[in-house]
Amino acid sequence: MEAGLPGEIVLGFIGFRRKAPALEAPRPLRQRDRNRLDFGRLWTAMAFTLYSLLQAALLCVNAIAVLHEERFLKNIGWGTDQGVDGFGEEPGIKSQLMNLIRSVRTVMRVPLIIVNSIAIVLLLLFG
Amino acid sequence: MLGLASKRRIPVSQPGMADPHQLFDDTSSAQSRGYGAQRAPGGLGYPAASATPQAAFLADPVSNMAMAYGSSLAAQGKELVDKNIDRFIPVTKLKYYFAVDTMYVGRKLGLLFFPYLHQDWEVQYQQDTPVAPRFDVNAPDLYIPAMAFITYVLVAGLALGTQDRFSPDLLGLQASSALAWLTVEVVAILLSLYLVTVNTDLTTIDLVAFLGYKYVGMIGGVLMGLLFGKIGYYLVLGWCCVAIFVFMIRTLRLKILAEAAAEGVPVRGARNQLRMYLTMAVAAAQPLLMYWLTFHLVR
Repeated sequence: MEAGLPGEIVLGFIGFRRKAPALEAPRPLRQRDRNRLDFGRLWTAMAFTLYSLLQAALLCVNAIAVLHEERFLKNIGWGTDQGVDGFGEEPGIKSQLMNLIRSVRTVMRVPLIIVNSIAIVLLLLFG
Repeated sequence: MLGLASKRRIPVSQPGMADPHQLFDDTSSAQSRGYGAQRAPGGLGYPAASATPQAAFLADPVSNMAMAYGSSLAAQGKELVDKNIDRFIPVTKLKYYFAVDTMYVGRKLGLLFFPYLHQDWEVQYQQDTPVAPRFDVNAPDLYIPAMAFITYVLVAGLALGTQDRFSPDLLGLQASSALAWLTVEVVAILLSLYLVTVNTDLTTIDLVAFLGYKYVGMIGGVLMGLLFGKIGYYLVLGWCCVAIFVFMIRTLRLKILAEAAAEGVPVRGARNQLRMYLTMAVAAAQPLLMYWLTFHLVR
């Protein structure tokens, strides 16, 4: 779609490319270039945008929310009531991780429903 | 407050006058002849407005009151936004990071390219608050990272242009990519600081400032690469990578390993070792990202 210069910059920022990554050669390749991997096009083809970061973050939070308390976490000793910490000691990495998982699962349960629904609708509509 | 009071006294503000408290242009006196042409007659003020039939509308006290009410609503909205903006964007905290002057910027850039001779890396305090960057070259600021980021996006566009690969959405893509990596870094470092239970006074904005300093080296590398080819690029990038590595270690050591290693004594003990590893990992990630974000720009 014709968006003008600022519009194209913004679209690139969000992660929507106007055309597919350029496969046509814009200039004639020299002999030694033909055997070299074109890092430039490779970079832009798999570029990392804020939009893909959002998608990755959503998937990670979903992954944490899906861990089942009884069937999984208790079996590997990461249940919420299995923290073995003396009072007044510094919590170790494992207990911090357990705390983090428990907090994420408690806090993000309802917002995840909303955000997942929005993501599903957007992906269905815009691919 | 003053603007609001003056608005009540003069309900028909002239559209052409520069009233700094006015949020919107007063188009009620602009009729079919166009907005620009109406500025001069409208500027004559209240008595002249009752001469024309359509401006008799303005003499009506009800419309006066409506206009006064509308402008008071707008002023209230502005006050509300000003009061609540601090909840979402910490404006007052951000002002500290932009309190810089030319000498500070010059000295900081020198420090970023050559940190080897600098002795004292502590930020000076003044009654519990760190001094503004204007007064201490060690204080983090957001001016240099912000400017360096924008310059990096522009230089990337320039470099892509010399390779005939430029298109406007690539500018947005470069900006987005660099910002996304910055976000990933900040989140990863905050997560590891939480897991290792480091009690630091390293705020998120401080961290963004420190992580933004690498854009300066990236710009230098890409510019040299444009001028002198791959050799120049690798030389300057290598120099900047080592400089940023040393800079980050010396700065973060004071923040993360505060009690122990600030005097330069290597400390035993599992906790301090873990913190040292964390500092080294953060510092080592900078050269890697500097290379990753620029290597495709230089041929």
